[in-house]
Amino acid sequence: MTSFLTNLPNLKVYGTPTYFIYLLLAILPLGISLYYGKRLVKYEFLVNLVFLFLMFDGQSFPQLLALLGFLCWQTLIVKFYLNYRRQANQSSVFYLAVFLSLLPLVIIKVTPALIGQNSIIGFLGISYLTFRATGTVIETRDGMIQEIKTYHFIRFLAFMPALTSGPIDRFRRFEKDYQQLPSRQEYLQMVAKAVNYLFLGFLYKFILAYYLGSRLLPILEKQALFYSPHFTWYLVGVMYVYSLDLFFDFAGYSLFAVAISYLMGVKTPMNFNQPFISKNIKEFWNRWHMTLSFWFRDYIFMRFVFMATKKKWIKNRHLLSSLGYLLNMLIMGCWHGLTWYYILYGLMHGLGLVVNDWWLRYKKQHLKWLPHNKLTTGIAIFVTFNFVMLSFLLFSGFLNQFWFGSHILNK
Amino acid sequence: MKTKHLLWQIFGPVLLAVLLIAILLSLPIHYRKVSAQEMRKAAVSLDTATFKNQFLKQKALQNKKVNYVPFFGSSELERMDEFHPSVMSAKYYNYRPFLLGKKGAQSLPQFLAMETILPELKNRKVVFIISPQWFVKQGISPAAFKYYNGSLADLTWLKQANPHSAYDRYLAQRLITLLGSNDEVSQLAAKIAQGHQLSSLDQQLISVQHNFLWHEDELFSRFRPDDNYLNRIKPRLNNLPTKYNYQKLQTMAQADGQKHSTNNHFRILNKFYAQRVKPHYKLLAGAEKHFSYLQSPEYADLELVLHQLAKQHTQVLFMIQPVNTKWTAYTKLSLPMYYRSVAKIKFQLRQQGFDQIADYSHDGSIPYFMQDTIHIGWLGWVKFNHRVNSFIQTKQPAVHYHLKKQFLSRKWQQLKPDQQNLQRFASQIN
Repeated sequence: MTSFLTNLPNLKVYGTPTYFIYLLLAILPLGISLYYGKRLVKYEFLVNLVFLFLMFDGQSFPQLLALLGFLCWQTLIVKFYLNYRRQANQSSVFYLAVFLSLLPLVIIKVTPALIGQNSIIGFLGISYLTFRATGTVIETRDGMIQEIKTYHFIRFLAFMPALTSGPIDRFRRFEKDYQQLPSRQEYLQMVAKAVNYLFLGFLYKFILAYYLGSRLLPILEKQALFYSPHFTWYLVGVMYVYSLDLFFDFAGYSLFAVAISYLMGVKTPMNFNQPFISKNIKEFWNRWHMTLSFWFRDYIFMRFVFMATKKKWIKNRHLLSSLGYLLNMLIMGCWHGLTWYYILYGLMHGLGLVVNDWWLRYKKQHLKWLPHNKLTTGIAIFVTFNFVMLSFLLFSGFLNQFWFGSHILNK
Repeated sequence: MKTKHLLWQIFGPVLLAVLLIAILLSLPIHYRKVSAQEMRKAAVSLDTATFKNQFLKQKALQNKKVNYVPFFGSSELERMDEFHPSVMSAKYYNYRPFLLGKKGAQSLPQFLAMETILPELKNRKVVFIISPQWFVKQGISPAAFKYYNGSLADLTWLKQANPHSAYDRYLAQRLITLLGSNDEVSQLAAKIAQGHQLSSLDQQLISVQHNFLWHEDELFSRFRPDDNYLNRIKPRLNNLPTKYNYQKLQTMAQADGQKHSTNNHFRILNKFYAQRVKPHYKLLAGAEKHFSYLQSPEYADLELVLHQLAKQHTQVLFMIQPVNTKWTAYTKLSLPMYYRSVAKIKFQLRQQGFDQIADYSHDGSIPYFMQDTIHIGWLGWVKFNHRVNSFIQTKQPAVHYHLKKQFLSRKWQQLKPDQQNLQRFASQIN
């Protein structure tokens, strides 16, 4: 049985044009029924299941077991906490529920740093599922969620189009799409957008990201490493090419996830909104990986600021928000992985936000004469863009290799 | 009515695009011609896509103005110094090598690379460089094979694969082993391996796919990397004397080798030594003590190549690559083992009528014959080019190959090549 499983073909999500053919054929009946104002609930369940299976079968079969265990765990926590919340509202129980919900993610993030290999309870996409589950616990505490049906929760958590890398939806929003079917007119508009997003995604992921990541980047990296640890302009090339590749790859993937959701009648939120035209770093985080950044904003930054104000820990408003930014971004950095470059990346963005706030205040008070025109906007965009590029070079981990790696080519 | 209009607006452009692509890729029309310049670049590009596809290879070999000679080989072809065949022939000879193969391209990738240019190989003169290092216990690794494997070549073979031919059944089995049984090609190959004809539906699907891939190759061949000519061949042309002088070139090559191998006592190119050897210097001492090239599926894989060349009546000059003996003394590679593997390879060639062999296996101790550990360079290239040139210039007698199926057998793959075993094998097959 297991050898049969490990021999099945494994389909990399949105990896090849063939995958799209299979996927689109599979969801075609769903689309037709939505067009006629019905949702094929059982068929949708089947499609979700089959494609989940194809993601994790073959060599990654153990991940499928991890995913199943994870779904049970989170469902139990959420159901238990909802039950409790209907009767009482103690902070300690809430924190316990949040802690338990985050526990699997914490374990798989800490394990590599401790024992040097990946934890067996991990699977592709665990972060995104954790964010969805923990968010549900938090919203339950806030009293915004009154009812959670087991199947509905699992359907939300393991929603196939967005499983491996988001976007991170919220339970209440997701449920609404299921309670209320889009009208034919509305659905057709979603389909039109979906087609547009799919083709934009093809351009991003299969053309631009492919060229940048698979053709250009290896050449530049090799050159830069050849002269490492000494600076050459190749390193600057690596920085820009890696960052643009990161954007086109991830934005392309997100477009696919949103497009497929739309076809299934679910308005999964967008993840990117032209991030590189941001005029400052705060605006950048409103345009880059938006569902993650909003999740962190709502559940870490806001909670921290709210609590610190309530408990009167810090009086100074500016100091408070600065600490909030640093905390927020440091946690985000740690979430990427416990390595020096991820943590430094978080710190860099935290400081960036602090400095940005200070600059905006300073400008308002002392630099009233500074005009707001195309030139100054251009300079702002240029500075922000390059700051972000620099931070992504750090994020890439390439510097680790560049400074501390062994200088052996073809190893 | 309104929603119908909307549906057309959404899906109309998509349908139109799909339709246009399908038409573009399936019409039996040639979309482009290849310029002489493009062929010149492709011949030295060493690009993997060019290697495993068809269009550029075919166009160059069909070309009447320049005589392109296929050079089938592996990593040595990447050693582009002043005396590399592509440089020297551009300077002195009336033919141009079309380089096929890079690091890890062993017999099977070569076989499939030939598959798409069979008509062009007919009665042609070609060069085939064999590295004894291919003949390891497992043969080519699945990863290396997949790297060089392309659907166009696989399907070209499948289209005419004969389930009654031992050679085709052997290849089918190898494809299944190397690609894994899930692979689409493997699933078709499984039928051949079991001795069944492909169904007419299979044949039709293969034809359609083949046509698509053929056009894809044609259309995308203009986007392949091709900067070797400008960066690595052309600048070196001026470094060679205008007139061909064999003696002078040998002296020059030795001087060049001496100049560029100063940081080590192996007479290895400085850059190669610094990057590939020095960092692991200690680890490499005695590292090749237990290497053996005596028993390998590669012998049978090579037989496939021979069978194909024989069928096309191709005239082949084989070259057997030496090893740097200063290097092997350090890594403790057994030279007797190495010579025995060369003997086994040559036995396989000679027994079947492949008599043109430039055997350089004993030249690995000549100073600057090799550029590094296992790759010919400098003086080696000069000698080799001299040999190739005389092979190309002289009219060769008609070939008489007599292939023996037994060279596919496991018995031959595993045969320990001492005098007695080889003699016994010879008596069994003749």
